[in-house]
Amino acid sequence: MNKKIVSGLAIAAATTLALGVVVTSPANAAAKKSVTLAFQGPLTGPDAQLGQDQYPGAQWAIEVYNATNPATKINLVKADSQCDGTVAANIAPGVAANKEIIGVIGTSCSGEARNSFPAYKAAGLTMVAPSASAVSLTDPKAPDRGFPVFHRVVAHDGFQAPALVRYAVKGVTGPKIYLVDDQTTYGAGLIKFAKPSATKIGVVGTDSVPRGTADWTSVASKVKAAGANVVIYGGYTAEAAKFFKALRDGGYTGILAAGDGVNTSDFPSLAGKAAEGVRLTAADVPFEKLLTAAELASFQKITGVKVPGLYSATAYNAAQVFITCIKNGALTRSAIAVCVNNTTFTGAGGSKIKFNRYGDIIGGADVGAYLVKNGTIIYDGIA
Amino acid sequence: MNLSVITTQFWSLAFQGLALGLIYSLVSLGYTMVYGVLRLINFANSEVFMLGTFAVLYIEINILGHPVTAKPLGGFHLVYTLVIALVGSMIACAVIAVLVELVAYRRLRARGASRLASLISAIGVSIFLMESMRMVTASRPQTAPRLLEKWTFGEVAGVNFRIDTVMAIIAPIIIFVILDQFVTRSRLGKAIRAVSMSEDNSKLMGININRVISLTFLIGGLTTGAAAFLYTTVYENTVFNVGFNMGIAAFTAAVLGGIGNLRGAFFGGLALGMMEQFASAVLGSQWKAVTVFVVLVLILLFKPNGLFGEAVQQTRT
Repeated sequence: MNKKIVSGLAIAAATTLALGVVVTSPANAAAKKSVTLAFQGPLTGPDAQLGQDQYPGAQWAIEVYNATNPATKINLVKADSQCDGTVAANIAPGVAANKEIIGVIGTSCSGEARNSFPAYKAAGLTMVAPSASAVSLTDPKAPDRGFPVFHRVVAHDGFQAPALVRYAVKGVTGPKIYLVDDQTTYGAGLIKFAKPSATKIGVVGTDSVPRGTADWTSVASKVKAAGANVVIYGGYTAEAAKFFKALRDGGYTGILAAGDGVNTSDFPSLAGKAAEGVRLTAADVPFEKLLTAAELASFQKITGVKVPGLYSATAYNAAQVFITCIKNGALTRSAIAVCVNNTTFTGAGGSKIKFNRYGDIIGGADVGAYLVKNGTIIYDGIA
Repeated sequence: MNLSVITTQFWSLAFQGLALGLIYSLVSLGYTMVYGVLRLINFANSEVFMLGTFAVLYIEINILGHPVTAKPLGGFHLVYTLVIALVGSMIACAVIAVLVELVAYRRLRARGASRLASLISAIGVSIFLMESMRMVTASRPQTAPRLLEKWTFGEVAGVNFRIDTVMAIIAPIIIFVILDQFVTRSRLGKAIRAVSMSEDNSKLMGININRVISLTFLIGGLTTGAAAFLYTTVYENTVFNVGFNMGIAAFTAAVLGGIGNLRGAFFGGLALGMMEQFASAVLGSQWKAVTVFVVLVLILLFKPNGLFGEAVQQTRT
């Protein structure tokens, strides 16, 4: 009933877990030199699939590295912040206080990142995010920017949002766009950056619906009344499934589109029939397209995941950033910070990664287009 | 601000508001019944609702064997599946509600603990149930199979008479009429009203107070269970904290109508459902909660006991 008390309990439990796992590592360290990285993202909760899809990318990178029997092995621990800023604000201090952890692969969601900044900035703990794409996180003028600890190996929503609009209206004659966001750092940000290019095409309405809303029929009625034929949603999977179902059940027949927050492998099963034909984007190219057959087989064997999920590639790249630095002898938080800011890294498929002063990749990254077909999300080229 | 929606979508919004509001009404009956006899807000009722939605899923998927991807059913098979899910959910919720009373309230009451102690114990039960379900489901949302194809009877004045919405309107009205008649006419109903008026005098009249209280929780559980079934059938999803928003809404509805008052809960729920639909259509969904609570405060300023007054049973014989 009382949400504050409840999330407080969850947080206490999560912190204990995060710390509990790590406490065991000093014993290993004594035997052979090792350092620890944390993967932070949603591992449980309504948007758990986002983190569950990414974790194997990081896990594989690190296990392959450890298998080469290096001088310094890497332990990977999980920090579950449930794609929830409130949870993140409470577990981040625990991660920061753990001296074993020298870098964070994460976060997945932008709200998580923003609320983790205070703890990580104070501790000088470097973050490399696989998918936190809100523009403000690296905006030098934004009060909630992550400078100097935050970095990301994903194109921000300033790139993704216009691409999403482009892809959503592709092949539609006389597009009339309806924009809906979920009031989160990510969702509202994505829609904000989609607005300029959508306005040029024609926006017939907007709405902003809090997460946890059960009844979407009034929004569906409005979309219908406005005569929209393209609906673009900025938010995450669980809400999108409810919204798109309500639209289809309400007789809406136009295009449905959403960004990478919805592009998770559980979306088709949650939305059922309403998922068919939904257009999605992500600043990510499917991992399996970047891997050789032997590499893919090794990935499948180590992680137990058959088809790499969304942002496996960026999670792999984020891990590679730290691995390269550790190989180069950066074994403390401060050494990692210097290394991450000054090195050019090689990501999956040979792409070059170099961060600018505020943590974005210099040169940006492509935005991929995805389509739901027969209950699975398929890659549909560059958006 | 989008006033044109009112002219083009008025009846459609009203119809959907009716369905949503009646689901709220059913849950708020759970709050109001208990408040009527115990003068206690049973905060655990939201979690009874949550467990009810999971009971529906469990019955449909595990007991009757319809996976999430199942095709919609038809004819007799559909009716019997839905009836089993409805009855199962009502029984499950009634049993849970009675157990909650036995575990969390009865001993406290027997020892003369203050109402505040019961309130804390109610919140405790609520957290216990919610967190248990969080662990069982790993906080993941669950989808219900679409067993009832959402076909429509037709469209009149822009209102889409869809089968699930129609069901969500008719079923609560039937349940409410039965309950209202039961409370006003039957012996047990009289006993409930007597305890509500004065516990001490009822005792003197030979009424078994504990039985009446159990009965109240049982009835509250039954209506909440029906709400859980309708919710799962219409919205086809649930999650461990689904009770939180529903609890707030149903409690608000109960206060709006006058807590402790059956008819108040019914019309309070209706009013709330309508307000939510129109507020989110006209002002935008971000203003929904703001509008609802501004209206609630205004109403309470002028009618402190809610629209229908607190516990009408006391004044009516």
